[in-house]
Amino acid sequence: MQEPVHERLQISPFMAAFIVMAMQFGIGVLGFQRIVAKEAGYDAWISIIGIGLLVHFIVWIMYRICEAVDGDILTANVYVFGKAIGNTINSFFIIYFISACVAVLGGLVEVIRTWMFPNLSPLLFGSMYLILGIYIVYGGFRTVTGISFFGLVIPSYLLFSFAYAIRYGDFTNLLPILDHSPLELLKSAYSMSFTVLGFGVLLFFHPFIKNPEKSKKWVHGGIFLITLIYAILAIISFAYFPPALLNKSIWATLEMWKIVRLPIIERFEYLGIANWSLIILPNVAICLWTASRVIKHVFHLRQRKGVWFVAAICLLLILIVDSRERMDMFTSFHGKIGFGLAFVYTPLLYLAIIIAKKVKKK
Amino acid sequence: MNNFFKKKKRWLQKSERSVEKQEQEIKKSLDYSKTHFINQKNNKTFTLTFIQTLVDDKIVNNNMLPPLIEEEIASVKEVEKRLPMSDIFVSKDKNEIENKLFHGYVMVTFDDSPEEFAFIGAAKNIGRSVTSPEIEFSVVGPKEAFIESLDQNINMIRKRLPIKELIAEEFKIGELTKTKVCLLYIDGVTNKQIINTVQQRLSEIDKDEISDSSYLTQIISDNGNSPFPQLLDSERPDRIVASLAEGKIAIVVDGSPHVLIGPTQLTEFFNSFEDYLLNWILASFIRLIRLFAVTFSIMITPIYVAVVTYHYELIPKDLLSTLIISRRVIPFPPILEALFLEVTIELLREAGARLPTKVGQTIGIVGGIVLGTASVEAGLTSNVLLIFIALSALASFTTPVYQMSNTIRILRFPFLFMAELWGLLGITIAFGFLLTHLLRLTSLGQPFMEPIFPFRVKDYKDALFRFPFNMQAKRPIFLRTEKPQRFSEEKAKKKKDIDE
Repeated sequence: MQEPVHERLQISPFMAAFIVMAMQFGIGVLGFQRIVAKEAGYDAWISIIGIGLLVHFIVWIMYRICEAVDGDILTANVYVFGKAIGNTINSFFIIYFISACVAVLGGLVEVIRTWMFPNLSPLLFGSMYLILGIYIVYGGFRTVTGISFFGLVIPSYLLFSFAYAIRYGDFTNLLPILDHSPLELLKSAYSMSFTVLGFGVLLFFHPFIKNPEKSKKWVHGGIFLITLIYAILAIISFAYFPPALLNKSIWATLEMWKIVRLPIIERFEYLGIANWSLIILPNVAICLWTASRVIKHVFHLRQRKGVWFVAAICLLLILIVDSRERMDMFTSFHGKIGFGLAFVYTPLLYLAIIIAKKVKKK
Repeated sequence: MNNFFKKKKRWLQKSERSVEKQEQEIKKSLDYSKTHFINQKNNKTFTLTFIQTLVDDKIVNNNMLPPLIEEEIASVKEVEKRLPMSDIFVSKDKNEIENKLFHGYVMVTFDDSPEEFAFIGAAKNIGRSVTSPEIEFSVVGPKEAFIESLDQNINMIRKRLPIKELIAEEFKIGELTKTKVCLLYIDGVTNKQIINTVQQRLSEIDKDEISDSSYLTQIISDNGNSPFPQLLDSERPDRIVASLAEGKIAIVVDGSPHVLIGPTQLTEFFNSFEDYLLNWILASFIRLIRLFAVTFSIMITPIYVAVVTYHYELIPKDLLSTLIISRRVIPFPPILEALFLEVTIELLREAGARLPTKVGQTIGIVGGIVLGTASVEAGLTSNVLLIFIALSALASFTTPVYQMSNTIRILRFPFLFMAELWGLLGITIAFGFLLTHLLRLTSLGQPFMEPIFPFRVKDYKDALFRFPFNMQAKRPIFLRTEKPQRFSEEKAKKKKDIDE
């Protein structure tokens, strides 16, 4: 049990879906095609759908955890493992969300430096962006939700731009279907899991949903939509790129925009990247909010102060991971932790809760 | 500093002050008048005290003096009973004297009992008559606008809402100005919590001088540090009545021809009352055009600066050549060029606003075009940018609420600087700040961005679009009214079958 969140601060069940979707839809979209195709080739879209189904299952578990302890994962950890160990595990989430923030924002800085401004100062841009993030967090969770909503709705027009790639695509690229072994498909699904991560934030903002029961259908619907978008995007990319070319395209999504030609816009990817900084915004804001909330919960530091602390560490790390190799290392490291937390730790925690409940009843 | 305030407070405190002392203070003014009269029937002497400039001579000479002198009146009690006037008030409270005298009352005292006063209302009403709205002009529809008199303004509202549920609560604000402020709402419709919020905020105001309703907007707004107005002001009684009927509150301030409405949403500032006077298809179309105009007005110069400075690859070949030719001889970077023109336009607008007539504005714009053409010929700015700037200035005039159009004027400058810094990326970040700011704003505790966020489909019927009246059977959700239903939906929606 944890003290309930005031209704004034809560969000509607419908909006809960946007937070989960915003977290899932990050910098990974720009270049996940090459990574999933590495193992399973052009059958990888099956892995994407597979991992989508798994996410649905994990989200179901997450709801069960929150309902079982009537609170968020922080309460759950303390409930199962006691105050000392529980809070130690909880403080680990601070590191996780800081690294998530760095992975996303660092990725954005990398894309911008590669495609738009080679001389962009990570210090200046990072601090400006993080200050914007802090400004959002200062508005409370409702503002974070609002930014998640707009961060998805406003750039959604970009989806239409992929229609241009369909015109030049060759869908026979996908044939023959199911040409790869189940193991390869599993490996591909594993590498895709890094891109769809982020839905775990549900465990942290569950108490902020006005009617959690009603939010289930929206959250699951949102996850379904995201999986669908990823799968369709993958299929379009596979049709558009020959395998050898895709293997060299770090940001396949961006490269597909090169084909877009409008009467007043020639290089569409510039518009796309500028818009992408709006899509990244909810990711950064949610990470800052969650990390500072965990800090508040574990160390009893006011969120107003904690968020500055979190942002400072993020900025420092962004300055450190400023090359392609370091960034690659960092993201794969972060992805592995995220995978472990979402797909291994969460089910285990649920089992532990069931056991703990039975023990405590006796 | 603290001491100073204490002194000031003591000066304003009127307890324990004798009539004589008060008289000594008031006597210093030239318009103070104290005259003695003798009643012809019983030969009692009585005194009239009043402030000449505030009192209507005709009322004193024609309605007050004849009965006081000719009929048998011996005490203030009898004054109250026998004088053929309605606004009479008897008191023994000395503290009332100053208050009443300076609100246009005539004080009557009888020399044999100087501790009893009768105050007779005889205020002189100097004010202009009702004229047609100037800021919120509409081609069709009612042509009356509020004036400076509180009574007259409430009269115009009451005439359109002749129900007992329309409550008018009075507040006195300002230690010096003692401005009458009136809170209006429909009892049983408007949310109690919103009323309480306003009541509390109004009674907590601590300012010596309130000259206009816009003072109140700034003081009682949820966020005083926002360039966005969070209370709508209108000079149209019909708009106020429509808002009251929706379940909003209105604040009328004495001496101000603008009445405040709250709570409001962002979209409401881009609605004109004329939208309700036109067919819903036309109205919705015009609303969308206005929203487009606002976006265009804020964004176009920053986008020009961003594209010309950083992303000329964005422009297709044919268009690029036009751009380059227009910029060929310009010696400045795009940002200076844009700032030069924007500042020119702002100067002209400001000068136009300070000119006495509405013509001033027109002259300002014409002057802007002339100046602009000259600067293009002189090679200071490119003509493409001149077109953009002129268009964006034009577009900013489509905002129906004056306060909001001021906000839009200044919004483009942060965007311009961010565009210069990081091109389109900078514009997106500036947009992020703007969006966050708007999301954080509330109006009397209700979210400012509603119905866009929190997303409420049902409230779209009168926000970005204006749907037909038969679809407006429910009051907006964000007002959380006590009576959500305005009229029966079924009745309005019922349609006859073919050939029936």
